[in-house]
Amino acid sequence: MIPELGYAATVAGFVLALSGAVAAVVGGWTGRAEWLRTGERAAIGVWVLITVCIALMLYAFLTFDFSVRYVAINTNRGTPFYYRITALWGALEGSIVLWSWMLSIYTLIVVVQYRRRQPELYPWVLSVMLGILAFFLLVMTIPAPPFERLTPIPPDGRGLNPLLEDSGMITHPVALYLGFTGFTVPFAFAMAALIIGRTGEEWITITRRWTIIAWYFLALGLLIGGWWSYHVLGWGGYWAWDPVENAAFMPWLTATAFLHSVMVQERRRMLKLWNLSLIILTFGLTLFGTFLTRSGIIGSVHSFTQGSIGVFFLSFLSLVLLGSFSLLAWRMDRLRAESQLDSVVSRESTFLLNNLFLLAATFTVFFGTVFPLLSEAVRGVKVSVGAPFFNLVNIPVFLTLLFLMGVGPLIAWRRASAQNLKRNFLKPVLAGIVAAAVLRLFGVANVLVLAAMGLVIFVSATIVLDYARAVRARRRSGEGWSAATWGLLLRQNRRYGGFIVHLGVLVVALGVAGSQAWSVQTETTLEKGQSVELGGYRVRFDGLEASEESNHGKVTGTFSVTSGRHWDVMLHPGRKFYPQEQTPIAAVDYRLGFIEDVYLVLGDFARDGSQATIKLQVNRMVSWLWLGGFVLTIGAALAILPDHRKPA
Amino acid sequence: MTKQRKFVAGALVIVAAIAYLIWAGVSQSVVYFVTPSELLAAPVANKTYRLGGLVQPGTLRWDAKSLDLSFTLSDGKSSVPVKHRGAPPDLFAEGRGAVVEGLWAREGYFKASLILAKHSEEYKAPHEGAEPGYKEIIKSLRGDSR
Amino acid sequence: MTLRGLRWAIPAAVLPVLALLTYGFWTDPKEIPSPLLGRPAAAFSLATFDGGPISLEGLRGKVVMLNFWASWCVPACYDEAPAVERTWRAYKNQGVMVVGIDIQDKEEAARQFLARFGHTFPNAPDPRGRVSVDYGVYGVPETFFIDRNGRVRFKHVGALTDEIARRHLDALLKEPA
Repeated sequence: MIPELGYAATVAGFVLALSGAVAAVVGGWTGRAEWLRTGERAAIGVWVLITVCIALMLYAFLTFDFSVRYVAINTNRGTPFYYRITALWGALEGSIVLWSWMLSIYTLIVVVQYRRRQPELYPWVLSVMLGILAFFLLVMTIPAPPFERLTPIPPDGRGLNPLLEDSGMITHPVALYLGFTGFTVPFAFAMAALIIGRTGEEWITITRRWTIIAWYFLALGLLIGGWWSYHVLGWGGYWAWDPVENAAFMPWLTATAFLHSVMVQERRRMLKLWNLSLIILTFGLTLFGTFLTRSGIIGSVHSFTQGSIGVFFLSFLSLVLLGSFSLLAWRMDRLRAESQLDSVVSRESTFLLNNLFLLAATFTVFFGTVFPLLSEAVRGVKVSVGAPFFNLVNIPVFLTLLFLMGVGPLIAWRRASAQNLKRNFLKPVLAGIVAAAVLRLFGVANVLVLAAMGLVIFVSATIVLDYARAVRARRRSGEGWSAATWGLLLRQNRRYGGFIVHLGVLVVALGVAGSQAWSVQTETTLEKGQSVELGGYRVRFDGLEASEESNHGKVTGTFSVTSGRHWDVMLHPGRKFYPQEQTPIAAVDYRLGFIEDVYLVLGDFARDGSQATIKLQVNRMVSWLWLGGFVLTIGAALAILPDHRKPA
Repeated sequence: MTKQRKFVAGALVIVAAIAYLIWAGVSQSVVYFVTPSELLAAPVANKTYRLGGLVQPGTLRWDAKSLDLSFTLSDGKSSVPVKHRGAPPDLFAEGRGAVVEGLWAREGYFKASLILAKHSEEYKAPHEGAEPGYKEIIKSLRGDSR
Repeated sequence: MTLRGLRWAIPAAVLPVLALLTYGFWTDPKEIPSPLLGRPAAAFSLATFDGGPISLEGLRGKVVMLNFWASWCVPACYDEAPAVERTWRAYKNQGVMVVGIDIQDKEEAARQFLARFGHTFPNAPDPRGRVSVDYGVYGVPETFFIDRNGRVRFKHVGALTDEIARRHLDALLKEPA
């Protein structure tokens, strides 16, 4: 029953979304309100239908309804309760449902927020969003239906991929998708602006909060993905330049450029072409990312299975890119900058450079990701491009971006005088140089680390300097301490929210630099009672134990870890044996620290428990990545607060 | 207008620099996929390859103490001996496909620095026929620690 | 005039990228060949679920389609089962033998599987897993196509379709004994 009901809901949803989109277009074209109302009702209907789909799927999961093929593939009778719920988005078909559901909610929010406030843009925004929804519902109907029936009904399901049975699995896709789908709204507004020819700042100011929120969730999703990789996959790393990782990283890069570049358009009415192109690229890259992970054209550790879904996504991506860039070309005359770049040493120029370098990074990642395909197409030679390529090109680019991050917020608009430069940057530059020199004295020889540290200090100094000056100014004009410090943050929340986000990025940058430069690892086989030493820690193998969980068997090793600083901890890495898996899955154990993590993986072991082969890592500064995420959260939250300006 | 040209020129310099970096990066770090037959046809010492094949049954040797792993990769026509330092990854076993990355050593074997075992989404199965099933492993460990 | 037309270079620039991605559909991920291809198929001698014997020796001279399956193999074995039976019925009078080997399964579940799909070709359990090891089977379903001289010629991994079976069987039937 469920497969049929669900499938009917999907088909109805698609028809409704498509007709709603058409109705909205007619409403926009003719200006007749009743067509718009039809579109709105369709939007509500689509949300209801997708919610019904989700309810049906959850019900099927919770009642072990293996007549639904998706349930049979992704769970079995041993799957724990909460993973039966998260299995909803654990595989291809379900992830599309989640995406569609988020999109439908955003569409409803658009309806409620903008139907009265933006009567001119609104019909077109609605039609674009319904059109995109229609596409995803089409995908749910034809190439990736979540509601296929499996006959005859198998006695038990296959089960979730054990690597997905993790807390990261609950949050990572949700955060990523909130990010991806969030960019649909600014994109829709950009399209609407192009269609009606109102290419001013309106569409930017309206969608500012959407952009920040979507950007934040994408950043969060990437960081959670890194965390998941780090604590589950057993290789001790958080980023592998894997095609699927790259696919999520690229839209984040262009979104960062977009986020900043629009500030220039708001202030100086320039970079209009840049901004429209950047949002089109960002949205296009979210589709590309989905295409890449689901089409099977590029092999990856993460990729889902293929089928005809790749063709659907590529076709839609082509339609979106060709259509939106054609709209852009058509409206080119209205995109003339209303002011010029006055000087290289100016905020406009800094933001322009920011765009350039972020775009360069995006291109590099894109090029490296599709190079295997390119090589095969052009020369017939199969190649792979790995981390060395991405690091070689991106490290200088990211270091430059760090520098720009310090310069941008403080440098003057139009033309920065020598005095302005000295006032804002002399001390921070000196601080950065001193910091690098001090590190050098302490024995740090790695040039990249020194550069990164110097830059981080430089940027932090600019932030601290600016804040201190502002606080002092307010104090001088008679404000109390709390108003001058805390109140300042709230009153200029956009600016200081941005600063805190920058601080978050700095923390992450420190984490990346430190972990790459200073982490150590070793691999060894230990007899019972034997120890190995690394990085100031001694790890002793104490024994092995076996146990049976609901859906897997587990062998756990016990290891005592001591360090010179009288710090004792027991680590229990294990190997989990799932009946439906070909080989055991490693369960890593670790002790996280502010500066160092001790990270232990159990490899091979003797059947009688007398011997264990382990991989031991002392990873430094990795926790700073996760800390950076928290700082980002605070900054983003501050930045999107409603404007708090005190009345004069 | 000359100011405009200056900016464009500056931007072009940056683009050129990045293009150069990309070109250098690709030439340095691109790794070629070869099958055992292709490798043996024209092996170049100290060049990084990715070698794909089937792990020939009966050739897998793993010494936990010295962490020496050796096996032979075959594509049905030729086989290449592979040596690796470190425990075999999950998903790696005889009779299964694997891709290794490393160098061709002058002594006539492939020195692998990375082993990527092939992972299939299509079908998953317990292979209790060939190796002791996990239940046996658990039983034997429990018997020991009692 | 040309400057106005230049604007269309922007959407046009998208085309080469799309072309490259479309090309991606035509490339195949590198198939790792089975070392068994071209070699003699491993002999086996099993008892079918009906009780009778079945061995590879006894099938010499026929083209053999050897299908490894299991009742817990969801969904692929369920997807292909009707196609396997259809192939059998279409080719049984042309000198083709279809044999199913059930691996690592419970007898009751296996019998239910066979009953549900109404398989009429011989199926046998592989009690000690020897046959699946001999054939290098590391998952189900896998189907091996063996020629009249007893050599493994093709191996198909994943759910079988009528088309794939037909293609390989026709090719092997064309060869002289």
